[in-house]
Amino acid sequence: MPPRKSMAQGRIKREIAEVKKDKQLLESGTVIKQVKEGDYTHLHGSIRGAPDTPYEGGTFELDIQIPDTYPFSPPKVKFLTRIWHPNVSSQTGAICLDILKDQWAAAMTLRTVLLSLQALMAAAEPDDPQDAVVAKQVSPADEHTAELSGKLQQLVDMGIDAPQARDALSATSWNVEAAIARIYS
Amino acid sequence: MKVKVKRKWNVVAVWKWTAPDDSCGICRQAFDGCCPSCHEPGENCPIVFGKCKHCFHMHCILKWLGQPQDECPMCRQTWEFQ
Repeated sequence: MPPRKSMAQGRIKREIAEVKKDKQLLESGTVIKQVKEGDYTHLHGSIRGAPDTPYEGGTFELDIQIPDTYPFSPPKVKFLTRIWHPNVSSQTGAICLDILKDQWAAAMTLRTVLLSLQALMAAAEPDDPQDAVVAKQVSPADEHTAELSGKLQQLVDMGIDAPQARDALSATSWNVEAAIARIYS
Repeated sequence: MKVKVKRKWNVVAVWKWTAPDDSCGICRQAFDGCCPSCHEPGENCPIVFGKCKHCFHMHCILKWLGQPQDECPMCRQTWEFQ
């Protein structure tokens, strides 16, 4: 009788192949490989920073450990590359992502994990931080952006073209009254 | 009338599980094969359906349920055997 196949090993073999064939992952430069040939418990991944994000131009290395109980428990994934992200510890690379913890489901795969990490890098969750310092640095910036778009909206509501309103506001250090005066002078 | 059968007949049969998917969403092995804990496909390694219409090897879904999840691994609805 042949020895029992480990479920984890059988699945990981298929999943590495699945990641290599996935168009979306290929095009975005996300790759995965075994650390040691024949060892399906320890993988190495890398994600390329998406365009128009603070991570553009960077390559972010991942350490992926597959527990014996996979797929009944999630893979253990952490960043090896230091990354400035509110949901990743800047000290240890630990990732705060629900599907890597209590929201894991046995039908999820390495492919869905990598896609979720890409999504997390594109849209951080500062309200559920893994790194409180980074989260504080992110949130004020967002508030600042919200304040500026509120001012822009005020002018647009008055019937001014958005590009004209933006020009006037930036020429007047985002002072609404001064911008209005500038437009109607 | 006399009938003479000249050659011996070899009788062969095939069987298949009736499932909407080819493979189990938990172990990713084909349904026509067996789950990784079993050695041969057949009635000893059946496929089971949930009320949500998702199906898995019985051995696979039993390993998933109650530790501590009770949801379908595909759609996260509460799992109930159909």
